[in-house]
Amino acid sequence: MEIHWHWLIVIYLFLGGLGSGAYLTSFAAEKGWLGKNSSLARAGYYLSGPLVAIGTSLLVLDLGQGFHQPWLLIRLILNVQSVMTWGVYILSAFIIVGVIKGYAVFKHIKIPAALTWAGTVLALATGTYSGLLLSVVDAVPFWNSPVMPFLFVVSGLSTGLSATCLLAPLVEKGSINEGREGQVHLGVVGLELIIATIFFGTMLMGINGPIGVESAKIVLIGRYAIVFWGYFVGLGLIIPLIVYLLQFIKARKESKLHLTQIDFSNTEQAAASENGHHSYLNKFTDVAVLIAGLALRALILFSALPLWDGVSIL
Amino acid sequence: MDSPERKSISRRKLLKIGALATATIATGLHPILMAGADNGQDIPQNPNQIGFVFNQELCIGCRSCMAACKKTNNWEEGTMWRRVLQFEKDRIHLSISCNHCEEPACVTACPVKAYTKREKDGIVIHDPDKCVGCKYCLYVCPYHAPQFSEHTGRISKCSFCYERLENGEQPACISACPTGALSYGKLIELRTAAAYTEQPKGLPDPKITKPSWVIIPKA
Repeated sequence: MEIHWHWLIVIYLFLGGLGSGAYLTSFAAEKGWLGKNSSLARAGYYLSGPLVAIGTSLLVLDLGQGFHQPWLLIRLILNVQSVMTWGVYILSAFIIVGVIKGYAVFKHIKIPAALTWAGTVLALATGTYSGLLLSVVDAVPFWNSPVMPFLFVVSGLSTGLSATCLLAPLVEKGSINEGREGQVHLGVVGLELIIATIFFGTMLMGINGPIGVESAKIVLIGRYAIVFWGYFVGLGLIIPLIVYLLQFIKARKESKLHLTQIDFSNTEQAAASENGHHSYLNKFTDVAVLIAGLALRALILFSALPLWDGVSIL
Repeated sequence: MDSPERKSISRRKLLKIGALATATIATGLHPILMAGADNGQDIPQNPNQIGFVFNQELCIGCRSCMAACKKTNNWEEGTMWRRVLQFEKDRIHLSISCNHCEEPACVTACPVKAYTKREKDGIVIHDPDKCVGCKYCLYVCPYHAPQFSEHTGRISKCSFCYERLENGEQPACISACPTGALSYGKLIELRTAAAYTEQPKGLPDPKITKPSWVIIPKA
């Protein structure tokens, strides 16, 4: 099996998803979808542009001519038929909008809502692109699945949400406000579980032919089984599902309790217990989600068997 | 009185439309690059398309074609423009380079337009001076025709010896073949000939890129 794209591309795809998810997290927080006065309304914007820019520079490092003849890179915008060229447009635009939005939020400068919305669309496009780049390759059955872009978008959302939660306490002065991020993350991870099951399930069932099955087997029961079950499923799906689910149940019970007791003096205590999302357990969960996101990209790239190995004839 | 209800319905509708639109944008882009792969192989779209002919009956596995190609085209370190594969048991060979496909995946995928498909004879030419070395073509080509050199950091591949053709010569591999197993011609003529295939056993489905080659299998 020949692998042409290695860790630099794994990290590039990972950071693309992460930056996209981070932007969307802060956008959701800004819109109030993560609860009132969410503390996540800025950190994600700070992360988005710079992280995608770092990812893109890693991609340039991987190019055979990145250093030899860097002026050739201007040609990357030429082939409008190429998904990679679409990526150049999307990522360049997203980096610019992400950096502007991050700077504006930092400096408390008001920017047009249209620009923020453009960033949201570009964030979704960035996440989608990182999967689409692979899913259009007919000669690699494992990649050639229409589910791939969805898997990458939702995994990017999860990692983006985690990275934003990790950064928020460092950039927000004063107390951190616990919102609905735990609940939202529970939903995102649940969705990721469903999409990943569809992706690996259909692949294993042979929807993309015997080579697709072989690739899926490498991941599920073969060479990378430990990475898959331990890092991706364990760290990225099971742990966050359990942690967020338990916190969700606990929070509901408590809020019910307070409602029945109508005990207004206890609200402070309730707020303290709801601060769970920024506890050490949550920090651990967020780091686990990030490792899982990286593992997913590595699994997808390193298990890509070509339709034909280029050597065997029957 | 019914206005709040109507409002809520329309909002739900709006959300639905939004979700649908997102899904359509995400999935709708997908088939663009795979469209039109169900035409028959027999009639080439370009009547002037040329292609290699390989007769498995005649090949003795001497690898003269590889040697001649290497010498003529000065293969960059680590690249093999033409390979001779062998199925051990029956001593069946396959000499393979670029198939100058009718729907070349490399031309579509290359972000810098280093690949061009000539109208006049359908040859797919790669210009290494434009290549940035992204290696996307290594994944999209089902035949492993593009070759990457770690040494030069760029791709190169079979050009059908188009400069030799323009000088009235044959491609180097064909000139060197001692048994006549390797030849070339206009695809439209070759495909009227006797039993041939575009898919030797174990090779990818020709519907993907429509390779411009004709294989005469061992009987």
